[in-house]
Amino acid sequence: MLTKKPPALQSFLSLVSRHSSHLVRQQYDVIVVGGGHAGTEAAAAAARVGAETLLVSQKIETIGALSCNPSLGGVGKGQLVKEVDALDGLCGRAGDWAGIHFSILNRRKGPAVWGPRAQLDRQRYREFIQSELLSTPRLTVLEGSVEELFVSEPNPEEPGHHRVTGIRLANGSHPISASSVVLTTGTFLSGSLFMGQSKSPGGRIGDAPSSAGLSHTLRERLGLRTGRLRTGTPPRIVKDSVDLSLANVHPPDSHPTPFSFLNTHTHCKPEEQLPCYLTYTTPGVERVVRESLHLNCHIQEDAKGPRYCPSIESRVLRFPGRRHQVWLEPEGVTSDILYPQGLSMTMPPDVQLRLIREIPAMHRAEIHTPGYGVQYDFVCPTQLSPALQVKSTQGLFLAGQINGTTGYEEAAAQGLWAGVNAARCALSRPTVALSRTESYIGVLIDDLVSRGVTEPYRMFTSRAEFRTSLRPDNADLRLTLKGFEEVGCVSIVRYQEAVRVRDSLQDALATLQALALSTQNWRKKLPDMRMSEVKNSLLTGMDVLRYNDVSFEMLASAFPECLSHHMEFSQRLKIEAVYRPHCNLQKKEIERIQKEENMSLPQDINYLTLPVSLSHEVREILDRVRPTTLGAATRLQGMTPAAIIHLFNYVRRTGQKERRSHRNKPDQREERKSL
Amino acid sequence: MKCLVSNHMIMLPSMFRGIWRAAVGNLRTRRTPARRLVSTCDGVQVGLADAETIFALSSGHGRCGVAVVRASGPASSTALRCMTRLTRNLPPPRKALLRSITDPQSKEVLDRGLVFWFPGSVPGMRPAEAGEFTRRAFQAGKLGLTEVEGLGDLIHAETEAQRRQALRQMSGDLGRLYQDWSHKLKRCLAHVEAFIDFSEDELIEDGVLNQVDTWVCDLQAEIERHLQDERRGERLRTGVQVVIAGAANAGKSSLLNTLCQRPAAIVSPIAGTTRDIVETALDIGGFPVLLSDTAGLRESPDLVEREGVRRARERVDQADLTLVVVDCAHLPSDAEQAATFLEGHLRSVLSPQEQPESVFPAERSLLVLNKTDLLPEEQRLELDWELRRVSGLPPVCHISCHTNEGLQDFLAVLHRSVKTLCGDPLSCAPTLTQARHRAHLQQCFAALAQYQRYRDIDLALAAEGVRLALTSLGRITGHVGAEEILDIIFKDFCIGK
Repeated sequence: MLTKKPPALQSFLSLVSRHSSHLVRQQYDVIVVGGGHAGTEAAAAAARVGAETLLVSQKIETIGALSCNPSLGGVGKGQLVKEVDALDGLCGRAGDWAGIHFSILNRRKGPAVWGPRAQLDRQRYREFIQSELLSTPRLTVLEGSVEELFVSEPNPEEPGHHRVTGIRLANGSHPISASSVVLTTGTFLSGSLFMGQSKSPGGRIGDAPSSAGLSHTLRERLGLRTGRLRTGTPPRIVKDSVDLSLANVHPPDSHPTPFSFLNTHTHCKPEEQLPCYLTYTTPGVERVVRESLHLNCHIQEDAKGPRYCPSIESRVLRFPGRRHQVWLEPEGVTSDILYPQGLSMTMPPDVQLRLIREIPAMHRAEIHTPGYGVQYDFVCPTQLSPALQVKSTQGLFLAGQINGTTGYEEAAAQGLWAGVNAARCALSRPTVALSRTESYIGVLIDDLVSRGVTEPYRMFTSRAEFRTSLRPDNADLRLTLKGFEEVGCVSIVRYQEAVRVRDSLQDALATLQALALSTQNWRKKLPDMRMSEVKNSLLTGMDVLRYNDVSFEMLASAFPECLSHHMEFSQRLKIEAVYRPHCNLQKKEIERIQKEENMSLPQDINYLTLPVSLSHEVREILDRVRPTTLGAATRLQGMTPAAIIHLFNYVRRTGQKERRSHRNKPDQREERKSL
Repeated sequence: MKCLVSNHMIMLPSMFRGIWRAAVGNLRTRRTPARRLVSTCDGVQVGLADAETIFALSSGHGRCGVAVVRASGPASSTALRCMTRLTRNLPPPRKALLRSITDPQSKEVLDRGLVFWFPGSVPGMRPAEAGEFTRRAFQAGKLGLTEVEGLGDLIHAETEAQRRQALRQMSGDLGRLYQDWSHKLKRCLAHVEAFIDFSEDELIEDGVLNQVDTWVCDLQAEIERHLQDERRGERLRTGVQVVIAGAANAGKSSLLNTLCQRPAAIVSPIAGTTRDIVETALDIGGFPVLLSDTAGLRESPDLVEREGVRRARERVDQADLTLVVVDCAHLPSDAEQAATFLEGHLRSVLSPQEQPESVFPAERSLLVLNKTDLLPEEQRLELDWELRRVSGLPPVCHISCHTNEGLQDFLAVLHRSVKTLCGDPLSCAPTLTQARHRAHLQQCFAALAQYQRYRDIDLALAAEGVRLALTSLGRITGHVGAEEILDIIFKDFCIGK
């Protein structure tokens, strides 16, 4: 994949339409609104599934832009990147192309929680995404601002009150129709920018605000409940003005690990990687924050901000008297800008300058672009199905920050899944859902649609109950095969590679399992291995590989004839050996959850009058969230075990009734015949 | 009558134990199929994914003339077929069927009883134990799980001490203890998770894990102490198992009859009259006691009597308290020799046969010297004096079942022992009252060991240990979600991006 060089940006721009009148067609299967991480993945996924797809973005140049931090992956987020890649998405390969500093976080804490992460070259990343979209068949890109969403009467055979039929652009006269529309508007939905005491409409500095028409349609026409969230970004610092000798150098991994299962190496050569720098806040920073609070209207607003990506203001206010980390991250190979992670702030620009200069390494620093805050609308995601479709509106899908999440990886994951389902819906195939027992994407979507959000949602490994099974190393086995066989979003090339990997691993594991020796013989074969003396039983290769000080390489050199040809997977085999017993223990619990997830709750159920014994509170929760499955209902906050039992019994009873009536139907027909 | 209901069975109380053991053996050895009929969502069972087949004596111990044994879960049909020899078909649903109930391994007939089969009635799901009132209170969030169980006990409380314990549990002592542990575990997990999810990017103070190490250690010790309460709470709930044992014709059955004030067991001057176990339920000073009379321990050519002796020994092994009855008339007249004889005798009665040299637990037995009316006063005093010099002997009581002499003193000693075995429900730490709690706490304890095993090797697997521990405890106290853990992380740490 990396051999292919992306074409120059200019050629990309020349190939896309800047006006809707240039479009070949006025009818698409899927229209994706927004060109960020969610939108690009959605458009590419919809096209891969086979839908004629149109991507509409306000500004062609910003498609694939990294609006905030120049990095991808991390703990929990890295798992999402691996999973998006396993489903043939873009961001993993884009990261491998654009990365300039690769590291595996949590390297010493166990493979299940390893966090692959990279600092990115902003320009390279954008170029890669744009070139991928360009070379994707069935995908058209159009510049424009969506003014209106057309909806009509619903298809009576499916649930919902409305059906989406297309869009109209702000400057375009003709409507463009589509069976499915994916909205990935990011922070642009009724977005406002904050800096100091000034407030202006917009979703990102330097870009025009999106039209108010869309958010009006969502709220007024479709009656969707929305909420307001806030986020922020730090000032960008001129690199030459920073005294990096006063900060700690953090080098990248000497052997960069690519995100994508298709790549064996990264575009950036190991020795060409750039370092990051770590420095800390001082009491002076806290003083500046306190002195300027009255000039800072963003921090005084009550929209919910994230607890884990707080501005420097909320950090020092919440944890006073401490020093806080500030990472200085490169923005690209040729960029003269540093990104100070941890210094997101919304005070007036002159105060921002005073603040950063309180940090020794930046005592003479210059600001390239000041930081600012954003407030934006999100649609309460409990109104979505696990396919990310708005329950009340057929064909309308939402992904990314519009669903209350934060982060590129979270957006990309939802975008991909929304795009897949938008395409399947348009092509009259059933929508598909990912279980939280098989993927972080499933955890993310299940958390969103069944619990909702109260603050911007970010992925953590602790959100995944089955973390030991959902590892970054096995995302391909978990998702690529299914992605090809059941979902249709994976190319045959990637599928064949995943099949090869699966078969090789199975073969190697079987060989290891068949390799049974007595303890004495193992000791002879592996003299360096420490093995407890008392054991005198047979141990298999799998057992031995579980030992902390045994590597697959050691076994392969002891048994070259049967193991050496599996060296390609030495690390994965070691991880499999260690984790397999724990994963087997989890299997029953996973099966239980999958059963509950398979037990769907009728969507037309009236919880307020349901003739079963449920408390008022529980009825209200159920009525508000309308969980799609019993599994989702059990995870709702405020649900009681007793309520679940009643619900279960009710669903079972009604299910039986339905089955019985189904059984009766053919009988009736036969009766008629005999008459 | 007992009733094997498979889900269930009815049989004679004296036979109950055999069937019980057979059921235990059967269900434990048979692997439950991984297939699960239904998901349980009952708070009691949330997370009990492993669709275990459960069985219980549903009708309470002792006292009742009819016993109901209920089994439920995926293997219950197998258990039913194996124990009733219905190899081909299950009994017709919801109809009583009279069957011989047999040991599934030895094929030995244990009893005859009525068998009922209730197919697939909410399979795998435990019906509410308490009544509608309790369920509603629970549902309305007015009672925690342990409190609901306490209420169930209260409804069934037969003795004063049981009632006090039930009240105590209901007011939430046990609930509070488990909640406290759950809170500590949540904190442990939150700190490990913070270290996993944030330490690379954040200032997570050094020593976070060391702190967790200490908490886990303390918690393990606390749970272990609680588990080692010697089954006191359970005993109080189900009754203390007191077994009368000793040589043939020592007066064991007379003692049983004296204690329960009715001729429950046949007594005769003929050695070897009692051949099987005779059980009766008693209330000793407010504590529930299940008293069993056993066959006299002696070598016998009689097959039936040999089986009786085997059962007697088995019962002694399982007893909470053994009353070793000795016929005074058979003691050597020399006091010193008598003391040596008693020591040897106790050992032969109490020690497991395979380890005759092992030390018998003196606090788990009472030495009852019966027929004291046949012993001259002088000899008795001499013997007492001699016995006091021997260390490690259990308390000694002189009684005469014939004249009731010494009975009051004996009852006082017995009461003291039973009380110690049950623990005073009002004075000490809350005790375990449910076997189910014990099982979950044991899982919790084992899971914490996983944390320690992996602490320095693989933190993800170590955290999994704490998570499993919390899940096990959650089966008693209620489910703990990821969001709660994150809340603690954000409260305890200064987390940025």
